[in-house]
Amino acid sequence: MKTLVCLLLGAVVSATAEDHAFFESRVRPILVEHCYDCHSGVNSKGGLLLDTRQGWEKGGDSGAAIVPGKPDESLFIRAIRYHEEDIAMPPKKKGGKLPEADIASLVEWVKMGAPDPRVAEKKIAGMNADEAKGWWAFQPLAKADATKSIDDFLDVKLAEAKLAPAPPADPHTLVRRLSYGLTGLPPTAEEVEAFAKDPSLGTHAALIEKRLSSPQYGVQWGRRWLDVVRYADTAGENTDRPLMHAWRYRNWVFDAFNHDLRYDDFVRQQLAGDILFDKADAKQRSEGIIATGYLAIARRFGHDIDKDIHLTHEDVIDTLGRNFLGLTTGCARCHDHKYDPITAEDYYALYGIFSSSRFAFPGCEPKGQPRDMVPLIPQAEADALMKPWLEKNAKFEAAKKKQLTAAKSAGEAIAKLGGTSSKVLAESKIAEGASVPFEHRIHVRKGEVVQLAVSPNESHGADTTLIEWRITETDGAKRSWSVAEMVPSLMKGNPHPSRDGADWCFFETTSAPAFLTDKADSIDGNSALQKWSIGDLPSVLVNSADQQVMAWTTLAAESFFVHPGPKRPVAVAWISPTDGEITLSGLVADAHPSGSDGVAFELKHIAAPEYGPALAQLGASLKPAAEPEPMPLIPVAYAVVDAKPINDRLHLRGDPEKPGEEVPRRWLSILGGETVPADAGSGRRELGDWIVQSPLAARVMVNRIWEWHFGKGLVSSSNDFGSRGEKPTHPELLDWLAAKFVESGFSVKAMHRLILSSAAYQRASAAPVAADPGNRLLAHFPRRRLTAEEMRDSLLTASGQLDPTPAGAHPFPAEATWKFTQHNPFNAVYDTNKRSAYLMVQRQRRHPFLSLFDGADPNATTAARQTSTVPTQALYFINDPFFHGQAEALAKKLTSLPDDDTRITEAWRVLFQRKPTAAETQRTIAFLASYPADHAEKWAAQVRVLMAGNEFLHID
Amino acid sequence: MNTQLNRRQFLHSAAAGSLLFPGIVQQLLADSADPLAPKAPHFPARAKNVIFLFMTGGVSQVDTFDPKPELVKGHGKEIKADHPEIKGRPGYERIYLKRPQWDFAKHGQCGTEVSGLFPHMATCVDDIALIRSMHTSHSNHYNAVLGMHTGSFAQSRPSMGSWVTYGLGTLNRNLPGFVVIAPKQTYAGTQVFASDFLPGAYQGTLVVPGAEPIANVAPRLPANRQQLELAALREVNEEHLATRADDPLLTARVQTFETAFGMQMAVPDAFDLKQESDATLASYGLQRGQTTGFGWQCLAARRLVERGVRFVELIDTGSSGNWDAHGDMMTHAPLAKNVDQPIAALLRDLKQRGMMDDTLVVWTTEFGRTPFNNTADAKGREHHPWAFSSWLAGAGVKRGIVHGATDEIGLRAAENPVHVRDFHATILHLMGFDHHHLSYRHAGLDFRLTGVEESHVVKEVLA
Repeated sequence: MKTLVCLLLGAVVSATAEDHAFFESRVRPILVEHCYDCHSGVNSKGGLLLDTRQGWEKGGDSGAAIVPGKPDESLFIRAIRYHEEDIAMPPKKKGGKLPEADIASLVEWVKMGAPDPRVAEKKIAGMNADEAKGWWAFQPLAKADATKSIDDFLDVKLAEAKLAPAPPADPHTLVRRLSYGLTGLPPTAEEVEAFAKDPSLGTHAALIEKRLSSPQYGVQWGRRWLDVVRYADTAGENTDRPLMHAWRYRNWVFDAFNHDLRYDDFVRQQLAGDILFDKADAKQRSEGIIATGYLAIARRFGHDIDKDIHLTHEDVIDTLGRNFLGLTTGCARCHDHKYDPITAEDYYALYGIFSSSRFAFPGCEPKGQPRDMVPLIPQAEADALMKPWLEKNAKFEAAKKKQLTAAKSAGEAIAKLGGTSSKVLAESKIAEGASVPFEHRIHVRKGEVVQLAVSPNESHGADTTLIEWRITETDGAKRSWSVAEMVPSLMKGNPHPSRDGADWCFFETTSAPAFLTDKADSIDGNSALQKWSIGDLPSVLVNSADQQVMAWTTLAAESFFVHPGPKRPVAVAWISPTDGEITLSGLVADAHPSGSDGVAFELKHIAAPEYGPALAQLGASLKPAAEPEPMPLIPVAYAVVDAKPINDRLHLRGDPEKPGEEVPRRWLSILGGETVPADAGSGRRELGDWIVQSPLAARVMVNRIWEWHFGKGLVSSSNDFGSRGEKPTHPELLDWLAAKFVESGFSVKAMHRLILSSAAYQRASAAPVAADPGNRLLAHFPRRRLTAEEMRDSLLTASGQLDPTPAGAHPFPAEATWKFTQHNPFNAVYDTNKRSAYLMVQRQRRHPFLSLFDGADPNATTAARQTSTVPTQALYFINDPFFHGQAEALAKKLTSLPDDDTRITEAWRVLFQRKPTAAETQRTIAFLASYPADHAEKWAAQVRVLMAGNEFLHID
Repeated sequence: MNTQLNRRQFLHSAAAGSLLFPGIVQQLLADSADPLAPKAPHFPARAKNVIFLFMTGGVSQVDTFDPKPELVKGHGKEIKADHPEIKGRPGYERIYLKRPQWDFAKHGQCGTEVSGLFPHMATCVDDIALIRSMHTSHSNHYNAVLGMHTGSFAQSRPSMGSWVTYGLGTLNRNLPGFVVIAPKQTYAGTQVFASDFLPGAYQGTLVVPGAEPIANVAPRLPANRQQLELAALREVNEEHLATRADDPLLTARVQTFETAFGMQMAVPDAFDLKQESDATLASYGLQRGQTTGFGWQCLAARRLVERGVRFVELIDTGSSGNWDAHGDMMTHAPLAKNVDQPIAALLRDLKQRGMMDDTLVVWTTEFGRTPFNNTADAKGREHHPWAFSSWLAGAGVKRGIVHGATDEIGLRAAENPVHVRDFHATILHLMGFDHHHLSYRHAGLDFRLTGVEESHVVKEVLA
């Protein structure tokens, strides 16, 4: 209702008093009663507003609703007449057709020329134009008053609220706070002691510098930035493919914080580093490209990600608006922003900039493997690296082809040898997921062959098939051979030598035997899985692990499998080393029940003694002359470069199938609306400039820095500085900080120095007080729990197992092996003792630890972490193996010390960076005495208690 | 951003007589809601709990709950359809009707027809409101599964179970309010039970049938040692609290250890089917000692609901080896056998125990399957978002009715179509919510399960 009232303020008019009276008595009541529900204020079904003259003049998706004086040409009248079903209004569920008298009134009104006194105020999208221009967050920044300090601003408000500031924190608290705050890691006990001895401003400042210059600083603050830009290591589309190279952007962010890259350049490079450094030296050029990973990591959607690219662009525009500008730009995709001055045209003006850019393609199920990665070395250099390899590889492939042709004709010759002497012992179809056993007793002579061939039932199915097959002599030594014996050593060869002169061979049997010559000593990075194949299929493979492996299907532990290709049967053959009677027993099972159609097998005895040796000889002759050389590694980034510049059309109601007017690429109109020059390419470079020139950029970033120190921003809705966000608690302070930031050359580290040296930062912590439950006036420092990453890093630090060096790429399976589908999406959790900021973050399946402890959302910008308190977290501290492992590692170190007193002192030093109190020592001794276990376990228990305690996990 | 205080637990501990807590805290806590405290819905609810049975992969409507004599008659007849799964797909230029693999028969007093694929469920039709006119917005598994769970077909959003728990809180603090029992993950992974932007307290807890159903719930230490450690932890925390006792952030965490300790017993107890009679086990098709299978999932669901868990979802299988019968409709047979008897047993068991009055049972899949294929004798069927069948039973639901209908070949939801959003609106209504008003402010906007597009409660299925 409020919206309505303010829309009606302006009354006007060129119409007569009679017209006015007619409208008020005969028209307005009908509109209010029957139309306003869906077509007034923020509700504009079909894009149509009927609460102002401008509303119906502009009309909805189908154009102007009323042509004054011409009812028959007015869509509005056609709709209410209810003659045309597809446009009939009001809809049935809203009461259906109007009474005839009402229709007549409205027709008459339009005939009169549709006099309408309801004139809308001038608006920019959802905001009154004057209000928009005066909106606090858009105002230019004044110069910072050099005589002021942070505390001046805060103290005024505290005094007004009659709140006494808390006393300064003790040195121990302060050093812990500062150390975690800047690096996410605890201080050392020595640092605490040194500061306690000399708690002067100089020591404090020196400690800040020490932390700011530690490489761990960039990891902590970089990770915070990754929260905001919803960083992830997978694409998020239906198969959640790994992003092999996204880590370079992650590390670039960490480095940028460490080098205190100017924030304005930090912004510019993420949007257009490739353009900015196009002509720069190799290192800078490469870094510029990597920086655009910011754009490339945008979430991908659906099955064919190109079809849903408009959603990826929305993700970019929405995230960019929130993370740099504190504006919810994504809300203008389907219609003008309902509350803020951002129009749909603004949205599509930005959209065109991204349509004019080429995003690295992560691959997707219907379109295969990744492409469009950006080389980090000049193309000529990359070509020079590739050329010799391509030549060598072509030779290698040619030699291989020649050999295969030769093998084929040799195979055909061999097939003739077996021609008339073959006898099929058994054949059977195996239904989906079923298994069929076999058992036979036959006479063999040395050199004869028994062969088990598996083929797909129909062209549709080519299934992984489990084989168990044992061959045993019935007399004499009763020697025995089994496919199981090859499970630990499949790579030994093909032919695969077995005991007492027997041989196993694996080959395709489409026509003549064609040996499987390609070997893989791991599948999807798992070395328990090994295979022989021709190309991808057919293949013979094993799982040598003592547990099942979830691959494309569940592969049972210590098992032998074959996998035919479509219409390409595959066989395992045994060459007899002996004359006599043998039994053949085993089973064949479809090991991949997945809605296809099962397999069939054929067990055959080839009773020609010359067949086996010929077969073995053929196999032996096929050893590849040399392994192919690995392709040279061209360093690439998951990044963005310019494509052909184009303007996009508006998508009516956000639907890409309904293009509207073309919108030139330009900046948000409320912030200036400058257009991309004709010769400027995509406009990303200009976009970076416009963003950093806006006062929003500095305001939003200083607010984040403040939030990451104090737990809440001066604007608590740190991703929304628009009308639906919160107003700043200390607007003058926010502006003063933003101005300081700009004056410092956008130095984030300078901001830290400024904030950390304030009295507010150095106050003791306390719980909220009733007069200021949110502690928005900062009478005390807010206590906080460690974040998920800080928690895990602290456990690793305490156990002495943290590897503080930077991580590189994740151990993803090699691209060439990917077969991800929406039925078998990528899914992995990788262990690491590196800092938790390096954990692999997946979009579709949350990392179990990060998800349990409120890690950042990898699908949407996270301005601040939640702190949930749920019992499943406590279960982690009671039973989790990683937690127990860290406790045991520390306990082990402690028990190597001479006595319990030393151990207790050391435990407190490591975990809390302080000395234990007498009571604590007493309690520990009592606990150790009462705990019914051996010494090592007693100490592990004591460490668990301390590590699960609130002191370890909270910062005062 | 928000500190999720555990007010009830905190007050419990304050009431336990500790002198550590000055009065100020109670005042503070009065402003901070316990996210899981039981809450009243918008209007008196018909259902207090939900058991949501999700069949992964796309169950064929024309082979299960939607008999189409014309499809049998017209088998092999060529038709035209502007269908998303065949558009531009090589080999699918021409399509032909394909008859169902199973025969239908009338069942119960109501005479609802069900195919031979579900002989046990067929005996329950008098308790079911069957909807034959379901339709959805996407023909990909991922998107359709996400849509059925969150109302959103592309972006991740809070799951229906999270919305319900957010709206109602929970009745048993020793168990999670929203439990998902799934042997494998379905399409869209953990997003189907994620709380997304709702507070973490509302996310679904995954139970994987087997030895340790909830992560870290199995004690690693003998009880006496664990108790010693927890007692020592309590002391350590109390000393830490002595100077910080007015901070609910800390006290709430202390209390969670007691709850967690209890969970180590409450969770195995909930899943301990030893306490069930032979007759009950047999009705679900379970062997004594069995800890997996859909029968186990169904019986565990009943036991969870008995213990006050608000929303239990059972997912029958994972993102492969499921109902996605492109190759052969006969693969529906073992999947149907897997769920048929257990679901019938669950309905009867709930009824016998009088739990049907409080519990809503929902059976659904993400989409149906095409009544046609590209050759007349193709064995399988393709994805079909235009029509599928789902049913509701129990609290507040009409019994023995059929709502809506497809056209004569089961191609389109023709009569009283029910979109996934309408389905969600109806479930929320049964839980006592007006779906327009069960909303959460996130990023400056009010979000809700049914989104911004129109949706309606299906009044015809309400008792």
